[in-house]
Amino acid sequence: MSATRTAPHKGKGRNKASNARDRKAAKRSPVLPIALGLFVLLAIVAVVVSRGGGDDGSTAGDDGASAIEQTRPVQVTGTSLADFEAGNDTAVGTTAPVLQGQTFDGASITIGKAGDPQVVFFVAHWCPHCQKEVPVISEWIADKGIPQGVSLYGVSTGVNKSAPNYPPSRWLDREDWPVRTLADDERGTAAKAYGLTGYPFFVAIDGDGEVVARASGELSVEQIEALVDAARR
Amino acid sequence: MTDTVTLFLALLAVVAQATVALAAILAIASRFSPAARRTGRALGEAIAPYALFFAFCVAAIAMAGSLYFSEAAHFLPCKLCWYQRIAMYPLVPILAIAAWRRDRDVSWYVVPVALLGGAISTYHVLLERFPSLETGACDPNNPCSLIWVERFGYQTIPVMALSAFALIVVLVLAARADHDEEEID
Repeated sequence: MSATRTAPHKGKGRNKASNARDRKAAKRSPVLPIALGLFVLLAIVAVVVSRGGGDDGSTAGDDGASAIEQTRPVQVTGTSLADFEAGNDTAVGTTAPVLQGQTFDGASITIGKAGDPQVVFFVAHWCPHCQKEVPVISEWIADKGIPQGVSLYGVSTGVNKSAPNYPPSRWLDREDWPVRTLADDERGTAAKAYGLTGYPFFVAIDGDGEVVARASGELSVEQIEALVDAARR
Repeated sequence: MTDTVTLFLALLAVVAQATVALAAILAIASRFSPAARRTGRALGEAIAPYALFFAFCVAAIAMAGSLYFSEAAHFLPCKLCWYQRIAMYPLVPILAIAAWRRDRDVSWYVVPVALLGGAISTYHVLLERFPSLETGACDPNNPCSLIWVERFGYQTIPVMALSAFALIVVLVLAARADHDEEEID
């Protein structure tokens, strides 16, 4: 330990010497063959395990989904609602458009028609917040039953075959989702018509077919019950 | 094909994590134990001639993997994915040139960029595990909390990116440490 560190840019000769020493060391070192061998070994393991139908940790791209159609045509009657903005919801008091479409099993379903207070839940299969909210709603209904005097509807939207947790019908079945659900089309027509700006999305509609409240994001049971009360007012 | 590529990248990430953990343990232990110092020095000397080349390989594989996920598997990159790409992609040519020229001073440029990328990856991992950190709702346009891939119960894309950034830091520092020792001797 004699000298202090050499100043930058002044050690060119030393660098050349050390580089030459590196090359000699590299010739002796087994590091490169070991690294290459490990790389090839891992590639072989990946191919063998994947072909052998091993643990499919990929949460996305479940192409072997059921034969159920996950998106279906939706018809909108009436004027679309303004995009939702928390704290300044201009859609409150306006008439909700009527959505006509199909459930996953092909039955026709209509949402937003006057005469029936309603709360509509919009969910996307890949959204972690929806994945948390759906069991909350399922448990709430399992505990207390469908609330009196109000109809609950779901809308499965934002469907993306490449995204995680596909297909939505399987996900909702797995969560014992008790709400009649409309399958939105590929373009998210139903979601756009109701001014969705984030998942999950909630719309409360009174008996006159007017929007009384909208909300976005995870809600507690108390907040959902408040939406139900608002729809029944 | 996507399953195979994902598994391969996840296995490489496990190797990266093990290497970074070993380097961290040796770095700490060598402060207290001469034996650990000798082991660390021996390993450093063995790896140093290849360290920059390996760092280049790590960056190149990370870039190729991210391009595969977006262009072949059609996993949409979110905002944080793009920030991590901004940090990772320039490292490929920088490390290639540094490895070619055996320029160990490149650590001055690579480490800050890799640390920045690693910090973004860390935040992305946290968002995946705790989506409410960002917001209570999912952005319809591809939220960062969306987990496209998960292997071994924890290897998601940002975890793999974080492993790559960490390994690049370790490798360029290993090359640098060897260089510094020569200058001090």
